[in-house]
Amino acid sequence: MNHPHHDQIVLAAEQLSKSFGDRAALLGVTFAVPRGRVVGLIGRNGSGKTTLLRCLQGLAAPSAGRATAFGVDGLSLGDAELARIGVVHQESRFVPWMSGRAHLEFVRTFYPRWDNARERRLVDAFELDLRQRIGTMSPGAVQKLAIVTAICHRPEAILLDEPAASLDPPSREALFTTLFELLREDEPAILISSHQLDDIERSVDWILCLDKGRIVRDEAIDSLQERYARWRVLPAPGRAGIGSGLREDSFVQPWIRSKLVEPNGALLVVEDAEPERESFEARHGVTVDAQPLRLAEMFKVWTRAGAQ
Amino acid sequence: MLITLERNSGVPVFRQICDQVRFQVAAGVLRAGAEIPSTRDLGERLGINPMTVSKAYALLEQEGVLERRPGLSLVVRSASPEAGNGAARGATADPKRDLKLDELARLLRPAATAARQLGVPAKDAIEIFRKTLRASDASHPNDGNDR
Repeated sequence: MNHPHHDQIVLAAEQLSKSFGDRAALLGVTFAVPRGRVVGLIGRNGSGKTTLLRCLQGLAAPSAGRATAFGVDGLSLGDAELARIGVVHQESRFVPWMSGRAHLEFVRTFYPRWDNARERRLVDAFELDLRQRIGTMSPGAVQKLAIVTAICHRPEAILLDEPAASLDPPSREALFTTLFELLREDEPAILISSHQLDDIERSVDWILCLDKGRIVRDEAIDSLQERYARWRVLPAPGRAGIGSGLREDSFVQPWIRSKLVEPNGALLVVEDAEPERESFEARHGVTVDAQPLRLAEMFKVWTRAGAQ
Repeated sequence: MLITLERNSGVPVFRQICDQVRFQVAAGVLRAGAEIPSTRDLGERLGINPMTVSKAYALLEQEGVLERRPGLSLVVRSASPEAGNGAARGATADPKRDLKLDELARLLRPAATAARQLGVPAKDAIEIFRKTLRASDASHPNDGNDR
């Protein structure tokens, strides 16, 4: 009700596949990102994250299916749509002899909606020296410049490919603070690919996890956090050392996603297991302490399953 | 409103907000009728998506902790007419008291699990709680409660 735009889909893919020769980078990928949502795109190296981002911008042609921004196929995006997208690539190639200042002056001319106040705030927060030539900047400084370049024109879709990889902690914080500021003002859809799972966990609303070119998770992070848990399993009092103790093969329930079993205790990663807890305790003669599970632990479960 | 988030705890942020607001209402830090920050303001203060704040507020509204005043922002819901306070009375007669006990029960659940896993019998666990209460009373001698 206070968010009239939330059902507007900004970025989407339908049965998107992309192959390079005989190597499939994406296989039947389907998802949609509405306005106001921050999506963490995660996956191991080579899982297809960058290819997906490239297809959405029209920098790569799908082998099958579609990738769209604002309902327009990536390859058909015109100037009007492109002006509504902000992109940070893994490695930015800017004109090396330009100073940071000259670069921003140049970029700004393309965008009527350029936000000078935001540019100044961000340059300050990043402690970016705009007098320096891009060719002599550190990789971190170039990354910061790329971020300023990508989000000061008030884009409605923001694609960030490993934006924080070369940023120090205060700059990462400045980046995420700015993204949330954008979110409050313009409600863009934001898609961030990253291996920094702690950053992702603390800043996104939604997880899109790719493994070997397929989507293995497309879900709100709140929901994941509520469905997954770590169980510390100990023998019930008075039953310590019963029989031969706990055994690896005593825990075969399908909702157990990973297990570390010792004779006198076990650590399990479980999914949707809360309703099973009491009967599990009774059946195995154990007590269970259920703890929240971090995204990094979930990630191991999702991507290992895919590797088998 | 006093909210602090553990961002990598694995506990959903909207749950953390709900738990902390509920606690503050139960403790009387947030009083009936008190206005709470808009989703936008709290989102800005905590550096999170305002939608996450909306989700927490919606849940608290559903639980009856908060209520929406027509045309106004969200406020802490007034419990049924308050008939004095402080006087010792049956737990069920005072809805505020129930909220406190519910809150305490929720916070004790992890301790109860630890007692089970450690194999500490109930009577010993209760004795420990009693001692812990006494120790914390000793450090706040002016509590003046009817314990």
